[in-house]
Amino acid sequence: MNPSQERRMRDPGVLRLGPKIFEPTDPVVMAVVNRTPDSFYAPGETWDQTAALQRVSEVVAAGAQIVDIGGVPAHPAPAVDVNEEIQRTAPFIAAVRSAYPDLVISIDTWRHEVGRAACAAGADLVNDSWGGWDAKLAEVAAEYGVGYVCTHVGNQSPRTRPFRVTYKDVVADVLDRTLSLAARAADLGVDPSRILIDPAHDFGKNTYHSLEVTRRINELVTTGWPVLVSISEKDFIGETLGLSAPEDRHNGTLAAMAICAWEGVRVFRVHRVAEAVEVLKTAATIRGDLPPERTIRGLA
Amino acid sequence: MITAAGLCPWPPILARELTGIDPVIPELRASCAEVIDRLIRTAPDAVVVVGPAADTQVWTSYDHLDLSLFAPMRSVATSCLPAPLGLGAYLLDRANYDGRRVLQAVGSNESVNNCVELGRTFASSSDRLALLVMGDGSARRSVKAPGHLDPRAEPFDAAVAQAIATSDFAALEQLDSGLARELMVTGVAPWQVLSGAMKSITTRTDMLYADAPFGVMYFVALFMPVYS
Repeated sequence: MNPSQERRMRDPGVLRLGPKIFEPTDPVVMAVVNRTPDSFYAPGETWDQTAALQRVSEVVAAGAQIVDIGGVPAHPAPAVDVNEEIQRTAPFIAAVRSAYPDLVISIDTWRHEVGRAACAAGADLVNDSWGGWDAKLAEVAAEYGVGYVCTHVGNQSPRTRPFRVTYKDVVADVLDRTLSLAARAADLGVDPSRILIDPAHDFGKNTYHSLEVTRRINELVTTGWPVLVSISEKDFIGETLGLSAPEDRHNGTLAAMAICAWEGVRVFRVHRVAEAVEVLKTAATIRGDLPPERTIRGLA
Repeated sequence: MITAAGLCPWPPILARELTGIDPVIPELRASCAEVIDRLIRTAPDAVVVVGPAADTQVWTSYDHLDLSLFAPMRSVATSCLPAPLGLGAYLLDRANYDGRRVLQAVGSNESVNNCVELGRTFASSSDRLALLVMGDGSARRSVKAPGHLDPRAEPFDAAVAQAIATSDFAALEQLDSGLARELMVTGVAPWQVLSGAMKSITTRTDMLYADAPFGVMYFVALFMPVYS
């Protein structure tokens, strides 16, 4: 970490999202709820609003503390304009807010207009998934007093894939970008206890870059900012295991999650919640952050 | 004078160290190796590697590809050699070529005239030079391509393939550079240098590879002058 980055550290402490307060030792699961017909994992599964509400019910029951609602897939084309993205997300957020008053709701977007509509509908967190592409999005988070995710995507513009991207030091680049975004968000008035940083595996990165970020994730954790990782079923897992179908990548996802949890990552954006909760609980218990559920073996 | 000119793409996966356990593209790698081998067999005084970069400049000949730019655990070279030139140097290294080499970066926004003129200076050199020209066709050839599918990409690449196969260097010179940028084509400026070097020479062309297995168009070709 260079001196400029050291100045932008934060004391480790609680993470506040909506009405919830998470201690540094509480692993938090953020469940993906796509309001899209064409996302890479389980495409169209929650395109229908009833199915999406059913998904929210299931992930909450399985232990998710946050739902991350998005209206545009990360991969290129077909285009989704601002109005369409708002229509896909804001009314649904309002419905979720009404049904689950205390659930933390996140809006996954890069556009400030969408962020504004989502916050007005009840979102607690702006997941700026394309790393500050729209500078006004952090202003919206400040205006509504909600949380903000600072993401590293290299030099990618929204919905583009990396093409022969190079870094002298990918983790240094991640730190530089995410800490700059965090400092700016705090300067704009976002409560620092509501700011997270996310290295954004796969975004602007080849598989080796994502593996390096995972290997050195502790360098993000030691900044003091709560770290969110979104690794669920992604290409770097698929390429590591030679598995092209996203639905085959779950074991690899859980292994990477366990490593991140061991290193102190606090929030995990996932598709399959129940399995993630068990992995995180196991990791937290090994760390000594949680007690085991029930211990009789050799003790009776 | 030009002893021969070779055309290769520069996907980082040409480096076997970057593809993991699976060799991924052995055919492409073999085609590039054949081009290098045949260039070397013309016994040049030097191999001139021409590749796209931010700016036009000559890099020191002992610079090598820094694999760590793509894979952080790999060894780190001391230079900031642009990746296209680095891949060219890598191909020469793999062929155990230890002769003189010139690493010529050509700015992606360099004018056609400047590119062509640069090629002419190589052709008029008193040294016997072999050219190794690094560049790819469109990276928008399929839905899974880095730039997703653009329907204009296939006809663009077909025109390039035709120009290469028929040694039609004037056609390479006249490519629409604006469209090429939109289609994520990396080869235009280097191909224009090639044109400047070769268009006054009668050549025989061997196209060794022309395909887009990952949505990026790769051309591998060899141009052998036919001196009467």
